[in-house]
Parts: sequence; structure tokens; C-alpha cells
Amino acid sequence: MMRRLDKFNWGWASLPFLLLCWVLVASRFPSYILPQPWEVMAEAQRWIADGSLLQHLKASLLEEAGGFALATLVALLLGTTAGLFRRFRDFISPLNSLFMAIPPVAWAPLTMIIFGLGYWSIVMVIFIAAVFPMAITMQEGIQSIRNGEVRAARTLGATPLQMIVHVYMPASLPFFTAALRIGFSQAWRALVAAEMIGASKGIGWMVSMGGQIGNTNQVLLGIVIIGLIAWLMESLVFKRLEKHYQTWRAH
Amino acid sequence: MTNHNGLTMANSQPVQRVAATLAIDSINFSYPNGHEVFRAFSLEAKPGEFIVLLGPSGCGKTTLLNLLSGFQKPASGTITINGAPVRPEMPELGYVFQSPQLFPWLNVLENVRFGLRMQNRLSAKEQTEKALHYLALVGLDQAADKLPYQLSGGMQQRVSLARALALEPALLLMDEPFAALDAITRNNLNEETLRLWSELGQTVVFITHDIDEAIFLADRVVVLEIAPGGIHSELAIDILRPRSNLGTRKLPRFIEYRTALMEKIADVVHANLSVL
Repeated sequence: MMRRLDKFNWGWASLPFLLLCWVLVASRFPSYILPQPWEVMAEAQRWIADGSLLQHLKASLLEEAGGFALATLVALLLGTTAGLFRRFRDFISPLNSLFMAIPPVAWAPLTMIIFGLGYWSIVMVIFIAAVFPMAITMQEGIQSIRNGEVRAARTLGATPLQMIVHVYMPASLPFFTAALRIGFSQAWRALVAAEMIGASKGIGWMVSMGGQIGNTNQVLLGIVIIGLIAWLMESLVFKRLEKHYQTWRAH
Repeated sequence: MTNHNGLTMANSQPVQRVAATLAIDSINFSYPNGHEVFRAFSLEAKPGEFIVLLGPSGCGKTTLLNLLSGFQKPASGTITINGAPVRPEMPELGYVFQSPQLFPWLNVLENVRFGLRMQNRLSAKEQTEKALHYLALVGLDQAADKLPYQLSGGMQQRVSLARALALEPALLLMDEPFAALDAITRNNLNEETLRLWSELGQTVVFITHDIDEAIFLADRVVVLEIAPGGIHSELAIDILRPRSNLGTRKLPRFIEYRTALMEKIADVVHANLSVL
């Protein structure tokens, strides 16, 4: 009996527990303040039935994809250069620290003035949120490549191009996948915040609009979807990707 | 033709008998901070010779191997392999490092095949055959598809040795390769090193601070001085081959050599202390 309890993964109990708490707390309040989970489910069915949920989700995911892709490209360039060249690293690291200290959503009013309300202003906020932590992680990846491996490859006859393809790239791949994971989650947080400040669609807009019109069902539905997307990407995509490349790294 | 495991070697792989001459001709070397390491240092290794460089820590052993492999250049003087100045990527040169320095993302076979692949020698199939051949020589053909972290330190160093040997270098530089291993594993690998060397016949320059290891392996032990300097003295090891851990290490002559080398090392250290 004890053995069975030991083997049981208690992680699976956390979500039912949260739902139970929700039901208990919600039972103390009228549903226009804190609705029950099943009332939010009913709200979800309405949003799905008229196609508006898909529309908002699509808008958010397109912004996320744009900002994340742009941030990945720039971070790859910055991180690799900073990892390889000490002078550039010295130059860029105060800027990195400065930008990482500013909450990305603080840029939203400015990007909205420059780019106007819409796709690009939100993409820019996401970009600012994701690019710096990603660049630092990639830089650490390049720096972590051990001098000994580089030397070994040279004595085995690798040319400079082969060094990049066969040593630098595989050695920094675990850091690269870690950077993707960090960047995606930073981008997602910033996206929701930016949409709440100034957007006419998207999941973040759904939450803030729900708050303004007093529809708590809509607010909670938005929060659940935000969490769900983040969790799906984290556990189904990035954790697996990282695990695949990290079997050898921990040792 | 069979190797020690009783496996039949492919006919396409004749036993290799290439060996290089290494010539170090009065090199001088100092670090940029002014610390002088070598002054008019000369040494020659004849083809097929097994030379062990022995010295206490601080004698510049690792600096010397960096110079020998061309990773660093002497301020003056020349280091040549068969007459050509050394470069790290020259095919005559094989290098076994203090730590195995395997590529952790490649399995054992791919690690051994790495050099052949980079240099585009042979077809893919022949590269794999050759890599397996050398893995078998170090007794690890069964571990071909393991990742390096799944192996013990001694096994990793064997893979590292196979990786260097797969390129069939005429000169093998070994930089305290077994220093981090336990005494039992070190003795076993000493024996294996000699067996491989007698089969392949390349020139070996082996660096160590372990006196017993030096005697067991060497044709000639070269005792280094503490920097700045060069060679304190040389000792030819006149013990019959093949040598074995059980037979060789208990010979009266082995013990005489050990005493002689201990005295030399004491002299090196003492000379250095009197300078301080």
C-alpha cells in the first residue's frame, strides 16, 4: 500500500485540487462575481459556437509567432556574436541588463504611438520581451563550449567551417532550445499584457474587455486559455525538445 | 590476422608501421607576463621511439605539449615532424589529452570516426569499419553506440585513445592521459598502451609526473627541470619488452630505475628551492 502511494505521481492531483477549491470558493459568492467552472465552460461553448474564440486565439497566436520569430533571429545573431567576441559581449551586456530590468509592457504605449494600434505594435512589445533573455541564454551556450573540445576537434583535422557545424552548433543546441522555451514564455506574458492595454482582439483583449463589461465568465475563460496555451507549449513542445538535446548535458 | 580479442581484422587494414621523427631544436619560450619556461631546449625522438617526459609540477610539461602540437609557437627555435614545422591539424599528429575531451553529443563510434569524417578520408562505410577496428583494439567495440557519459573515466580515455589512433598518426602526443584515473585502471591502461604501440609502431611522446609509469612505458625517460630550463637528465630504460604489470614492476632493475629517478627529481626540486 505504502509502495503504491510512493509511486503515485502527485502532480496529477494538483489540477483536480485547484478545481475543487474553485468550486468551494465560488459557492460562497454570487455567480456574477465568481462563477463556477461549469458556468465558464458554458461561456466557452458560446464563444466556440459563434467562432469568436477561434478568431481571438488566431489573432494572439499570429502576434506571438511574429514577435517570437523576429526575437529568435535577432537573439541568435546577438547571442552568437556576444558569445564569440569578448569585446562585443562587454559592449552589449549593460544594454542587456538595462532592457531586461524594464517590464516589457511599459513599452506598449510607445509602440502603439509609433506603429499605431494593431499587429505591429504588439509584435514589437513581444520582441522586446523575448529578445534579451534569449540572447543571453544563447551567449551562455556559445561560451559554455569547452576549449578542450575545440582543441580536440582541431587536432582531428576539423576546418573552421567544420568546427562551426560539428562542434559549436551541436554543443550549443541544448542552450538554444532552452532559449526558445524562455523566449516563448516571456513573449506570451508580454503579449497578453500588451493586448490588455491596447488591442481590439486577442485573448488579452478578451480578458480586459470582460472586466470592463463586468462579465467574469469571459475573464476567467480568457485566463484559462492563456494558461492552457502556455502549458501546452511548455510541456508538449519545449520540454520535450530540451530533454531530447539534454541527455548528455547533465553529465 | 587477428588482434588480441581474437577478431579477424579486415584485409583492407594492414598493420600500420609509420613512425615520425620529432625534432625540437633549441627552442625558447616565455609567457607574455615574462615568465620564462624554456631556454635553449632541444630533444629528438627517433622513429618508433617511446619517450617519456618526467617532471614535477611547474616544469612546463603542458606548455611543452602545447608547443609540440603547434597550439603555441616558440619565441625562437624550431619544432618539426619529419622536417615540417608542427601545426595542430597536421595528419601525422595524434593527441591524447589529460581529460578524454570526447564530444558528449556523439556516441562512442561517432567520436572515434570524427577525425576520418572531418578529413573526408575513406568512404562512410570504411570509416565506420576503421573506427570499429580501433574500438576493438582498445576493447570497447561492444560500447560503440553508448554516449560518453555512460562510460567510466578509464573507458572514456580508451575511446579518446582509439579516436587518436583511428587517424593512424605517425607521432602520438600523450599529455598525462591517465593521471586522473585510479592506480589499478592506470596500470591496465599502461599495459594496453604498450600493446597498441608494439602493434602500431608510431613514435610516442608521453608526459607524466608518475615515476613508475615513466619507467614502465619508456625507451628513454627525459627528466625536465623546473622552469626556466630544459632537460635535467636522461635515463635509458633497458628493460625487455613486452613488459607486463606483474612481471616488469617487480624487477630489481625497475626498482633501481625508480630510485635513480627519485634522486633526479629530488635534485630538480632542490635546485629550484635553493633558487627561491
